[in-house]
Amino acid sequence: MRKTHQRRVIIGFLAAPVLLYTVFVASPYVQAFYIALTDWRGLSAEIGLIGLGNFTELFGDPVFWQALRNNLLLLVTLPIVTIGVGLFLAFMLNAAGGPRSGEIRGVRGAKFYRVVYFFPYVLSIAIIGVLWKNIYNPINGLLNGALRAVGLEEVQPSWLGDERLAFWAVLAVLVWNGIGFYVVLFTAGIKAIPASLLEAAVLDGASRTQVFFRITIPLIWENIRTAAVYLGIAALDAFAVVQIMTGGGPNDSTQVGSFYLYQNAFSYGRFGYASAMGVVLFVVTLALSAFTLRATRKERIEF
Amino acid sequence: MASIVLSNVDKIYAGGVKAVNGLNLEIKDGEFMVLVGPSGCGKSTALRMIAGLEDISGGEIAIGEKVVNHLPPKDRDIAMVFQNYALYPHMTVAENLAFGLKLRKMPKPEIQKRVNQAAKMLGLEQYLKRKPAALSGGQRQRVAMGRAIVREPQAFLMDEPLSNLDAKLRVSMRASLNQMHERLGVTTVYVTHDQVEAMTLGDRVCVLRDGILQQVDTPQNLFDNPVNLFVAGFMGSPSMNFVTAELVQVDGGAAAAFAGFRLPVPASTFTEKPGLDQYLGRKVILGIRPSDFEDAAAANGHTGAGWARLPVRAEVTEELGSEINVLFLIDAPPVEHKDTVAAKDADEDGEPIPLAGDKSLWTARVNARSHVRPGQQTELVVDTHNLHFFDQGSGLAIGHPANVGR
Repeated sequence: MRKTHQRRVIIGFLAAPVLLYTVFVASPYVQAFYIALTDWRGLSAEIGLIGLGNFTELFGDPVFWQALRNNLLLLVTLPIVTIGVGLFLAFMLNAAGGPRSGEIRGVRGAKFYRVVYFFPYVLSIAIIGVLWKNIYNPINGLLNGALRAVGLEEVQPSWLGDERLAFWAVLAVLVWNGIGFYVVLFTAGIKAIPASLLEAAVLDGASRTQVFFRITIPLIWENIRTAAVYLGIAALDAFAVVQIMTGGGPNDSTQVGSFYLYQNAFSYGRFGYASAMGVVLFVVTLALSAFTLRATRKERIEF
Repeated sequence: MASIVLSNVDKIYAGGVKAVNGLNLEIKDGEFMVLVGPSGCGKSTALRMIAGLEDISGGEIAIGEKVVNHLPPKDRDIAMVFQNYALYPHMTVAENLAFGLKLRKMPKPEIQKRVNQAAKMLGLEQYLKRKPAALSGGQRQRVAMGRAIVREPQAFLMDEPLSNLDAKLRVSMRASLNQMHERLGVTTVYVTHDQVEAMTLGDRVCVLRDGILQQVDTPQNLFDNPVNLFVAGFMGSPSMNFVTAELVQVDGGAAAAFAGFRLPVPASTFTEKPGLDQYLGRKVILGIRPSDFEDAAAANGHTGAGWARLPVRAEVTEELGSEINVLFLIDAPPVEHKDTVAAKDADEDGEPIPLAGDKSLWTARVNARSHVRPGQQTELVVDTHNLHFFDQGSGLAIGHPANVGR
């Protein structure tokens, strides 16, 4: 008796979230898979099934390949740069200061810097996009103004207008935006390491750099892994910054999958084609995240 | 190997707290020096200053004739064992042992040799491939020791290395520590708050209180001739009994009078403690070690000269097998000197019994042959040769060589 009653309660509790999940998450997926097989343009009531036509077109679309290449390049560079700089800053803020003989602590004013680094993270991404678009403005932007101020009138790059520079300019904004969060994440990891471990390493003869690479990094590996996954997701998206700052240009040099998808759906009215792109991106994302989690798996460390 | 000399060392923290105050200490080459004191007495700070983990506010620290004040820890050629062992959790035992040697660019075969030697010495051979998480507390402790040993440093610094172990393991580790020191003969500075550890391990023991050195001496001398009330109360377990007594002149000699008792003070005491005669007719603080008591019935042999009888009523008896602690009340107010209070606070097994009125609770440690039971009237004898006298005002031991002329 008790068993059936229990089961009823459990099913009751499970049913609600499953229902919500099915309606709002799973069914749109299925719908998208279906639309990907059609030539729907978003408004018409009749939908024509065209099989895998969208996919064949997609694989022959140079812009899509360019977008995918950019995403992959972001996927490699964004985590490496952000984690690298984030780790460096976190180390400076927590373990690089103090006298040579004496306790290990952060550099002077570490608390202040921590707040400053975190600042961009609390800004809305739209504001960041607009802000940097103006900073990068070749004529009255802050960056070129600064170059002029130090006497570099000859060097006035068009940051977002130059095919060779635009991608890196966008990458810099993404790093600037995210860095504060990762500094805080790594700081939390470093703070969780018992002070005596770092002291033991120092007594064993490790320099601050050696402590960092041989003790700190292995011990906060879990945090780094988490950061890599978050950043990977951000790299596969990057929609907002691209949309606001470059619109994918110039000449598709900053085009990314998510933005090209949006353009196809809402600018060109090709919902079927956009859905097919969504399906491909879904598969790519899934494969990559499975790969990342597997590749970085390590033994859990207990203190 | 080297001596370690601290001259007028100060440590002042931000906010003006003086953790270590004008510490002068010479640790001889190969000596096992124990720093002991209640928590917050500055013993760990002193050790960390020697290690270079804490900067020195004033004074000078020299290791092997070389002033190391501004030398980074790695150049001081010392190894430290931490209370929580501080093993690197992501390395195996072997890697933990080898880490310091690898950083010093030692050739591989030499590292291998030293690691194996240390592992053999500490019985860690079968655990070399394990990570610290897979070791027991005692094994981790041995790895921490091993990490210090392989370095073959000039000095070992140990910060309460046994305090995370259970009581039984602590005793056996204490023995192996002793053995290890005998074998390696490396200068060792050992910090503990446990006075039993201090007594059993130290060649010499340094008692600290509020950052100020109280006394440095061999364990036996500390026990027999404490320099002041604090050291007297801190060293020894159960701790010394105190009472305010009057030193009176009686026919044929002197006596200490308190709570209706008169303990004769032998003439030899006056020659041993110069200046004590000036206290005749005045009040002093009298201290008697629990171990200087004996049950009169059980100790037929020595009720002769120098032993005074003390009839008391046993309130509580603690039977320890080989001996019995007899707790009894003395009809005198407990001594409320700042030094005895400080020492008592530090004593972890402080008296749990609330005292009735203005009586003080004393402890006598008597032979297990005694059949004293709680509530019984009994007669104790006291070895009057081992009475301790302290000045009421300063708390200094009267007639102690270090205090003469102070």
